[in-house]
Amino acid sequence: MSEPANTGATPPAATPEEPARVWVWRGVRAGVMSVQGVVLFAGFIGFGGLIRDVGFPLGAAVLSTIFVWALPAQLLIVGGFAAGSPAPVIALAVGLSSVRFFPIVASIMPMIRGKSGLGTQLYASHFVAVSAWVESIRLIPALPVYARMPFFLGLSNYFLWGSVVTTVIGYFLAGTLPQALANGLVFLTPISFLLQLIRNSRDLVDWLALILGLALTPVFAQFGGSLDLLWIGAIGGGAAYAIGRRLRARA
Amino acid sequence: MSLSDPMLYAYLLVILAGFLPTDVFRFAAVLFARRLDEDSEVLILVRAVATALLAGVIARLVLFPTGDLAGVPLWIRLASIAAGVAGYFLIRKSVLAGVIAAEIVIVGGAIYFR
Repeated sequence: MSEPANTGATPPAATPEEPARVWVWRGVRAGVMSVQGVVLFAGFIGFGGLIRDVGFPLGAAVLSTIFVWALPAQLLIVGGFAAGSPAPVIALAVGLSSVRFFPIVASIMPMIRGKSGLGTQLYASHFVAVSAWVESIRLIPALPVYARMPFFLGLSNYFLWGSVVTTVIGYFLAGTLPQALANGLVFLTPISFLLQLIRNSRDLVDWLALILGLALTPVFAQFGGSLDLLWIGAIGGGAAYAIGRRLRARA
Repeated sequence: MSLSDPMLYAYLLVILAGFLPTDVFRFAAVLFARRLDEDSEVLILVRAVATALLAGVIARLVLFPTGDLAGVPLWIRLASIAAGVAGYFLIRKSVLAGVIAAEIVIVGGAIYFR
């Protein structure tokens, strides 16, 4: 989103420390005001519709929203389930797509951890996903250090539990909506992810990886096989990195 | 229920092939956060691989959809993507604007052309 939402989260100057629960609720309020949250929930409504389409059980889908909390990884699980891919192949694909959480979590944790212990940080890291990351980077630097962890937990818990609710809503909507609207809900997932990838693309390597990943998909579909996503990631991402590195070396 | 039960299998997939391979990276990142250089070469490569892989997921959902979406003609799905990207760039790089533009095309197309 180009314009920052007015969250009311900026504290008045030189106030004494407020209780953590106050900051948790301010985080929740920031989530409610967030356009990012609307897109996120729309994506999970689409996810709910998709799982019904492919016959994935609702309970397992809700569990995936809570315990995986990464829509691309959840799509890999559901897609792999529908295609009958072997479980180790699905786990490998999920692991590769979730590698991105390493830099995402590592870049945000020093900002939000404050004086919290390792256990709290490990707990908080589970709630880091692209949406909470984007909003935290935007909102949290303005907050006093002691307030950041409770604020983050409020924001990210609102996103996660809201997504659980919208996963269920999407599942039941998919059965009752007119066919065209149901198609639209399922289509929310690819379009919102594509646009968020575009928005997150900051340099040439990001753009090349995105374009090569899209372009290689129909190529590898010719060969079929359950490993094609891994090849797309390895070849597309590897080529994007190599080209970016060569251009940097020349500059 | 046995392991061959597809419903139980789905739950096991979520935990073993979903939760574990995802949170291992979240937890590892916390442990290494103090020492990690965000601009290190390895992380540039890793992020590029992850981006390409995610782009592959998106392209598969659009080009080879499972379920009911497959009944919507391919050209409508591609036109919807084009409208979404155009909406995003034309309307203040707003993801919401792009999503709405894409949805108008896919829902309208599904009504009139399927």
